[in-house]
Amino acid sequence: MNIYLTDGSETCFYTAAFRACTDRTCQVTCENNVQLSLGAQIITVLPDEEKSARVRKKLQECDPRSLQDISLILRRGCPQKEMIALAYLRLIVRSGAPVRDRLSLSAVRDAADAIKKVLNEAHRLTGFLRFMESASGIFYAPFSPDNDILDLILPHFLRRFADQSFVIHDIARKKAALYNRNECIITPTDESVNVILSDREEGFQMLWKEYYRSVNIAQRPHKKQMKGYMPVRYWKFLPEKQPPE
Amino acid sequence: MIDADKLKILTESAKYDVSCSSSGSSRQNRKGGIGNASIGGICHSFTPDGRCISLLKILQSNRCAYHCLYCPNRADADVPRAAATPAEICELVLAFYRRNYIEGLFLSSAIERSPDHTMETMLETVKKLRTEYRFNGYIHLKGIPHADPLLIAQAAQYVDRMSFNVEFPTEKSLKLLAPQKDKESILLPMRHLAQKRRAFAEEHGKHTARFLPAGQTTQMIVGASPESDGLILRLSEAMYHRFSLKRVYYSSYVPIVRHSLLPEKCTGLLREHRLYQADWLMRFYGFTAEELASPGENLPEEYDPKCAWALKNMQLFPVEINTAPLEMLLRVPGIGTLSAQKILRARRYCLLGFEDLAKMRIVLKRAKHFITCNGKFYGTENLSAVKTMLSLEAREERYEQLSLFSTQENYQSALTGQL
Ligand code: SF4
Repeated sequence: MNIYLTDGSETCFYTAAFRACTDRTCQVTCENNVQLSLGAQIITVLPDEEKSARVRKKLQECDPRSLQDISLILRRGCPQKEMIALAYLRLIVRSGAPVRDRLSLSAVRDAADAIKKVLNEAHRLTGFLRFMESASGIFYAPFSPDNDILDLILPHFLRRFADQSFVIHDIARKKAALYNRNECIITPTDESVNVILSDREEGFQMLWKEYYRSVNIAQRPHKKQMKGYMPVRYWKFLPEKQPPE
Repeated sequence: MIDADKLKILTESAKYDVSCSSSGSSRQNRKGGIGNASIGGICHSFTPDGRCISLLKILQSNRCAYHCLYCPNRADADVPRAAATPAEICELVLAFYRRNYIEGLFLSSAIERSPDHTMETMLETVKKLRTEYRFNGYIHLKGIPHADPLLIAQAAQYVDRMSFNVEFPTEKSLKLLAPQKDKESILLPMRHLAQKRRAFAEEHGKHTARFLPAGQTTQMIVGASPESDGLILRLSEAMYHRFSLKRVYYSSYVPIVRHSLLPEKCTGLLREHRLYQADWLMRFYGFTAEELASPGENLPEEYDPKCAWALKNMQLFPVEINTAPLEMLLRVPGIGTLSAQKILRARRYCLLGFEDLAKMRIVLKRAKHFITCNGKFYGTENLSAVKTMLSLEAREERYEQLSLFSTQENYQSALTGQL
């Protein structure tokens, strides 16, 4: 069995798919620490623009929306993401047409689930992301999403906060979007950065916590539901969920 | 900066208002401005009672000149009082918005001094927000009954959504429980705003309608007065038609104040839940109020209203999943709008069997008694056995209800109306 090891990029995935598409028993992954089974052979794939372009072109012909779908699947934060994308890709190529409505096929359902998870998290985080005002007037928002969604949520914040300089920092993937009211770039970063907060920041965080406390209807507790909609792993960055000092 | 005590007073009294949704408006940010409204609505946090925080919900003032029997802020109540200035509210909205705590503002108020004075202050707040602070986020403004129509119309220009609370389904109950309010003072401004909105859309084309982009909503208190569900649903139906309302909110009565004219106990949340279900059926499933409950009748407690309707109309079932038109699929208990769409799409490729539906994650517990798949029936033929099973299932759901929608699925059904 062949194991194609990619660098995690889309181009590299399509390069691997160039061969893996017809290599029935193979595996594709970007995880370095794959479990080696007996007789498995690791093939390290280097991104190849030409091969990748040929696969993309083929997909484009079969289903113009499939490239977008696969790009979303590859953002999943789970080790099987390449295999889910590959199964979906094979099916599209074999059918020569879109397959997304054929929900009775497991490859389609897995792809749909992966896409949904990524989009759901992106939607959730447009709400749960929290900015704090730094002394220099730049608003800083650290987060560490399950999936690679920084550039998915970015357009939303660029539209909304067009007049506000901000930084959105994906701590887990060590990259950040920097916006200076004019242009926006995404750049690699350290895991943590030091931010000096503005004088007003603490006051507004306090008011927000007060608001959070007073809108709750204490006679109708329903913590389970709160956690269902706002999973605990996101609380780290929410001022209203920090224990009182 | 507004102080914490004032914020507490002005938000605690606003929190029972249920219409928190921020969806339905896609206001764009303008150059040099801050904010936009998001069409699907965004939740920014959830409180320990399981509710979503989307807007900063606050009263301009809780100093009230009125005497609504059920209200903790009525004139003669002994509660801490406060009022915020327009500038205080604007500053707070902006600070929260820039930190991504909220989608926007939900501004309501008690009647301080007079309706006109109150409406004027609220107008000043929303105008300041839009013009001085260049805020383009979402604003929901509560209208003040009896306020000058000119002030109301002016305020409406600056906001995304406006709502007047109907409070009670009949004039009689309104007069009894909210003596200074009357039907005309609530329905008239709603009619005016609906006319304005329509005229604006005709003049400027449907897609650029900017007058109240998220429309109007209203709210009724259920269970403080004797009206039946059938009557309530007819009123909602009429308001949806006449005022093109976006939503009617039903809020089950919670006794915060004791009075001989008011019930002692809370109205069950189940009743509220059934009303919401019936409301969804009228808006998205093609049901009329008449089909769901006759004027003197309440919705059945044993089943959800769609189940109840189907059991009364068994001659129309079972329907074949591979051929039934959308309208009929939507009337199958347990098949919601999303499932119906999934079926329509999937059956273009192949004949669907029972297994396929299950794989497509369509919940068949209820539906199986009302459908055939490829000619085959998987349910129970015996009507009374079906009734027992459905009511048992609904009872489970009801126990869940009593602890306020404890399962995600139940709550989802209340929010999204997948029935
Ligand atoms: S008008 Fe009635 S409901 Fe509104 S705050 Fe005053 S007393 Fe309460």
